[in-house]
Amino acid sequence: MGILVNKDSKVIVQGMTGREGASHSRAMKEFGTQVVAGVTPGKGGTDFEGWPVFNSVAEAKAATGANVSIIFVPPAGAADAVLEAAHAGIPLIVLITEGVPTIDMMKAVQEVKALDAASRAGGGQGIRLIGGNCPGLVTNGEAKVGIMPNRIYEKPGRIGLISRSGTLTYEAAKLLNDAGLGTSTTVGIGGDPVIGTTFADVLPMFEADPDTDAVIVIGEIGGADEEAAAEYIAAHMKKPVVAFISGRSAPAGKRMGHAGAIIMGNVGTPESKLAAFGAANVPVADTMPQIIDLVKQALKL
Amino acid sequence: MKLHEYQGKDILRQFGVNVQDGRVAQTPDEVRQIARDYGQAVVVKAQVHVGGRGKAGGVKFSPDADKAFENGEKILGMDIKGLTVNKVLVTKAVDIDAGTEYYVGMIVDRNEQSFTLMASAEGGMEIEEVAAATPEKIIKHRVDPVTGLRPYEAREVAIKAGFKGNLNKIADMMVKMSEAAFARDAVLVEINPLFVGPDGVPLALDTKFEIDDNAMYRHKDLADWRELEAEHPLEIEASKYGFAYVKLDHGNVGVLGNGAGIVMTSLDVVNRAGAKPANFLDIGGGAKADIVYNAIKLVSKDSDVRAIFINIFGGITRADEVAKGVIQALKDGILTKPVRMRIAGTAEDEAKALLAEVNSPLIQMYSTMFEAADEAAKEANASEAK
Repeated sequence: MGILVNKDSKVIVQGMTGREGASHSRAMKEFGTQVVAGVTPGKGGTDFEGWPVFNSVAEAKAATGANVSIIFVPPAGAADAVLEAAHAGIPLIVLITEGVPTIDMMKAVQEVKALDAASRAGGGQGIRLIGGNCPGLVTNGEAKVGIMPNRIYEKPGRIGLISRSGTLTYEAAKLLNDAGLGTSTTVGIGGDPVIGTTFADVLPMFEADPDTDAVIVIGEIGGADEEAAAEYIAAHMKKPVVAFISGRSAPAGKRMGHAGAIIMGNVGTPESKLAAFGAANVPVADTMPQIIDLVKQALKL
Repeated sequence: MKLHEYQGKDILRQFGVNVQDGRVAQTPDEVRQIARDYGQAVVVKAQVHVGGRGKAGGVKFSPDADKAFENGEKILGMDIKGLTVNKVLVTKAVDIDAGTEYYVGMIVDRNEQSFTLMASAEGGMEIEEVAAATPEKIIKHRVDPVTGLRPYEAREVAIKAGFKGNLNKIADMMVKMSEAAFARDAVLVEINPLFVGPDGVPLALDTKFEIDDNAMYRHKDLADWRELEAEHPLEIEASKYGFAYVKLDHGNVGVLGNGAGIVMTSLDVVNRAGAKPANFLDIGGGAKADIVYNAIKLVSKDSDVRAIFINIFGGITRADEVAKGVIQALKDGILTKPVRMRIAGTAEDEAKALLAEVNSPLIQMYSTMFEAADEAAKEANASEAK
């Protein structure tokens, strides 16, 4: 049920023994995720709170059959950690780390895409990177590979959620939860300029997912990912999509926290995003709670 | 981090780009001395981190050393868009009419997930203006992040853009600019104008260079180039605390929250409530009481702020820690403006109990971000009306 991760996903944590890695490994386990091992170079052969720790992703994969890796490695080594997982053949890699240099991400994303294409050409399932600077992903009731608070996912449902912003993902998931709608899968794609997976990459998965009835896209100023998503929706989506754009009052030229949240020239303005969604007949909520009303209208609930 | 023209030129020079000679001066006497040393006409150029220096009178042609001194006097100390000119670059003047001005640049392109190389025969203009008026005059090319820009690609782009002159040397300049961009973690580098004289040889007359802040850890040799005086004093203080903080003009409500997305939305909500956000402040994830305390201290120092709106969705962040920070600020007399907050999530009930104990009219908690923003807006606008 849901997309990308489920109760059968076997997850390793790169950087498990660090502060963030440790606390989120515990929270993922509490959620019910099958966390099977940690990877910390130099600590191979040790045990961390009951989990075996390996020196490399390849060793961890060979020993556990892991098919997902979540990365909590600091920025300087984060892109390298992605490449290690990709070359070890982990089909789903989730990079949580914030502040990875953009050039490192350019190189890593390109290499992951080449490995993905080679894997698919050889009949494999491909390799996908989610993030960096993202909260991860959750298939409600099954598995969380991320850092979202567990309790906003009390009620599994049939709404797919894709977001560039971590906190707004939480906000939307909670609103859906409280409205009794719940989520199928939540995918936080991250707010950086160069990320592994975009809205337009995730939309076809939700379109094909029998457990998702409608999709919410939470975008923000900067870049043209929302415009690309709108184009894809207009051309290919049969399921209803509802959007929200954050930072509509942000001034041009100022970077709003996220490295990607900046209006440069005429690119990345809220007007351009609203116009694109308008042209694709995607309703855009003015406020977060209004998202729920629009979803209900779209599904005639 | 934005670099000054002279700093960007230093980097390009290190990578072998043919850059127009120039030296930095901080007094009119130094300007005169440099002009004398060059023994020819010079251009005195203000070094500030804003565009449109020329239009503001910050770039002046000086036929001789005395005129250069005079222009140095005019430009040094000048205010350009709120920034004081402390340094000028004195460069040898070039007879622009004898050659042609072109544009080349590289920018991080989200859609291409790499750098895009841009070239245009419309040199000397702001590229945004060219893009708006005649987008077909900008040739774009994705640069492979692994191989970098190769000479044949650069030649192709130069030819498509209609560049005339020594194409090998022009392409070589573009390749070297690309090498500098990758090696120095640029997010933007421009050579504009790229001047091609009668001999066909390219010369970089001006440059823009901006470095990825996330990569500054591997460019420690450039750390001294960061000029705090060019930033807002509150932004400097915020950087000491590690907050993502942006001062916004004409605001009256201080805004803080945990995460870029929620803070951006908080700004939108304050606008909807009929007030203006005075700042963007992201305290990050998992903030403890001391961080919230410092955030309030920072926002309270902004004399534009009449009320504070706190919007927290606690996952790792605990609501009671936020409340403790706010209460401590009240007790220490730092908090003097009304705080209207919405804190959802972890330890919400503990936070409510702590605030009930203090029972100050200055601090109110609401269950939605809209109520909290409305109340903050009301307080701020009422206080301004007085």
